Amino acid sequence: MKAEGRNNKLALLFLSPAILFMLVFMAYPMIYSGVLSFTSWDGVSAKKFIGFDNFINLFQDQYFYRALLNNFTIAFISLAFQVFGATVIAYVLVRMLKFVQRLYMFFYLVPVVISEICIGLLWSFIYNPYFGLLNNTLRALGLGHLAAGWLGDPTTAFPAVLNAMNFTYMGLYIILFVAAVQNIPESVFDAAKIDGAGNFKTFFIVVLPMIWNSIQSVALMAVISSFKTFSLVFVLTNGGPNHVTEVLSTYLYSTGFNSFRMGYASTIGFVQMLLTTLMGLIVLKLMRKTNAGAYDV
Amino acid sequence: MPKRLFFVVCTIALFVLFVFPCTGVNAQDAGAPITIWHAYAGQQDKVDFINYAIESFKEKYPEIQFEEVPMEHSSYKTKLNTAMAAGNPPDVFYTLPGGYLGAFVKGGQIYQLDDELAKDGWGDSFIPTALSSVQFDGKTYGVPIDIDAAAIWYNKKVFEEHQWSVPETEAEFDALCEEIKAAGLIPVALGNKDRWPATFYFQTASLRFNGPGMLGKYASEPESDLFKTAAVKPFEWLNKLATNGYLPIGFNGMSEAEANILFINGQAAMMVNGTWQIGMTNEADKEIFELGFFGFPKFEGGYGDQSDVVAGVAASFAISEKAENKEACILFLRHLTSMDVMKKYVEMRSTMVAVKDATSEDVAGPVLYEVTKNLIEKAASMDAFYDTIMAPLATETYYTVIQGVLDGTISATDAAARLDEALRVQE
Repeated sequence: MKAEGRNNKLALLFLSPAILFMLVFMAYPMIYSGVLSFTSWDGVSAKKFIGFDNFINLFQDQYFYRALLNNFTIAFISLAFQVFGATVIAYVLVRMLKFVQRLYMFFYLVPVVISEICIGLLWSFIYNPYFGLLNNTLRALGLGHLAAGWLGDPTTAFPAVLNAMNFTYMGLYIILFVAAVQNIPESVFDAAKIDGAGNFKTFFIVVLPMIWNSIQSVALMAVISSFKTFSLVFVLTNGGPNHVTEVLSTYLYSTGFNSFRMGYASTIGFVQMLLTTLMGLIVLKLMRKTNAGAYDV
Repeated sequence: MPKRLFFVVCTIALFVLFVFPCTGVNAQDAGAPITIWHAYAGQQDKVDFINYAIESFKEKYPEIQFEEVPMEHSSYKTKLNTAMAAGNPPDVFYTLPGGYLGAFVKGGQIYQLDDELAKDGWGDSFIPTALSSVQFDGKTYGVPIDIDAAAIWYNKKVFEEHQWSVPETEAEFDALCEEIKAAGLIPVALGNKDRWPATFYFQTASLRFNGPGMLGKYASEPESDLFKTAAVKPFEWLNKLATNGYLPIGFNGMSEAEANILFINGQAAMMVNGTWQIGMTNEADKEIFELGFFGFPKFEGGYGDQSDVVAGVAASFAISEKAENKEACILFLRHLTSMDVMKKYVEMRSTMVAVKDATSEDVAGPVLYEVTKNLIEKAASMDAFYDTIMAPLATETYYTVIQGVLDGTISATDAAARLDEALRVQE
């Protein structure tokens, strides 16, 4: 009893620097931004308490809805393309094209180790309408009529950003799924083969349920990062043209640091945090349900 | 015993985290060094200039201790805003004039310089219109550094090759653009991702149609229609440029630097930009590129004087109200705006400066001197860059509607109404 108490205290002692760090650099700013979201503050003069005005304005703000819609689209695309696509690629690499697995893993690893800002700059050159790789390739293939001003055209700007995102994040998910697929015992595949399952069936009936736990955590990661995404959009389009590629983070940034509306920016940040948490919980809940019959037997 | 140990460790941790940094700052009291923040990093001509200014200052005042914090221009505004918001501003710093500085002045963060400027004719050494960009309610809160003017720059080599001549009127300008298009080139290079480059188009068109001082009228004639009707024609002109294909494709997604590549490579014949364009094209290949300029064409039925120019102070320096060693800060600003340093600025950066007679022929180089003689001195009036004098929130709307009008997602009348509304909101 006594020893246990001492152990607990000792554990607390060792944890205290981390807790202190968290309190000062995470909890305090979070609470403070919560407080700020009820004020009108330009960053320099005195703060003015304005109650729920910021929240009321926010829910009437067309750019906020535009940004929100874009974040939801990113979340959906990241689940459909990045997460699901990564499972397919991981399966193909491990079970079907084993001999190129290492080579491809290396390719997929490249965007993971490069900073997002660099990837953004790289893509902005690829997309350049005049000397960019994409348009020049199209022209060389005789498809010059398809060449466009990718990032500057309101119809293509957001898809172009989404494409760069898929490129950036998919690699990491593939690496995680490859590890998960490799962990499935060979006997399971043998059993599937004996039962006459082809690759298609094996993938959906054997592999997906077996790696469901990995999918669950990766999906959670993908959804959360979709709602927090910033740097790629910032470098590629800065939310423009005319807000078509705006996401919550870039809108927050321009509201706070270009328009000097710190109070309103805090409101956006606060709502963004709530939404991210909520979406994360929903994803977990949904996946746990489907999981129940499939894997936990 | 463990309880006491825990307590002691926590106290030490707290001490290290909170108390130590504070005492660190106080300990430097004796020398009272000054911190200087500026945005002259990244580009070589900027770095050369600030190094010259600081080295010569050190030579002149070896006893003054200071810390220099160089930053890139693109991230500078954010960093200064953050420092200001945190109540921890640098002592003397680079700042945009007009509305940006005005927000700090309103917050009581900037030291007033009128008494100092009255001494030894310091204030009189500046061009009066330039000084007005750092004045609020008749008081001066900074010193202006450089003056930029917007013009249409063109590649003389390309013009000579095709025997094109400089247009005088809007109709001639349109005809020229059609010819350039027919020759397979881009008429005007625009990279509007950062949103300010296209403001020159709007503002000059507005000058031609409405005359100068439109923003000032929001204070003096708040009841009248102003931009709600006056901005429609300039916006329509902007939209026409885009729909006629006079601008490169994807211009809203390209940066100014990318547009400059098109211009310098000879893929585009013209470029609308500030006088810093001279410095940006210094390194161009002389075989295919030679820089020339002309003023905006005359618009038929325009109310404004057709010689007016969009020009204003691009950068200034101010002193924080919290600065401990204000004398040293003032000495630095006096040194920075001295004739010698300002002439160096003109020479190194090919930009006009706010100090009288410093933009002389010997240091300015032929193109800049020609701009001063043929554009600035012949202008009936100058209108400062709207995005630097607008309040920050209105600036955001201004940028957004221009992007929208150019890509056709916002109509000219709608854009005019939104700009008008944004300028009326007092926040």
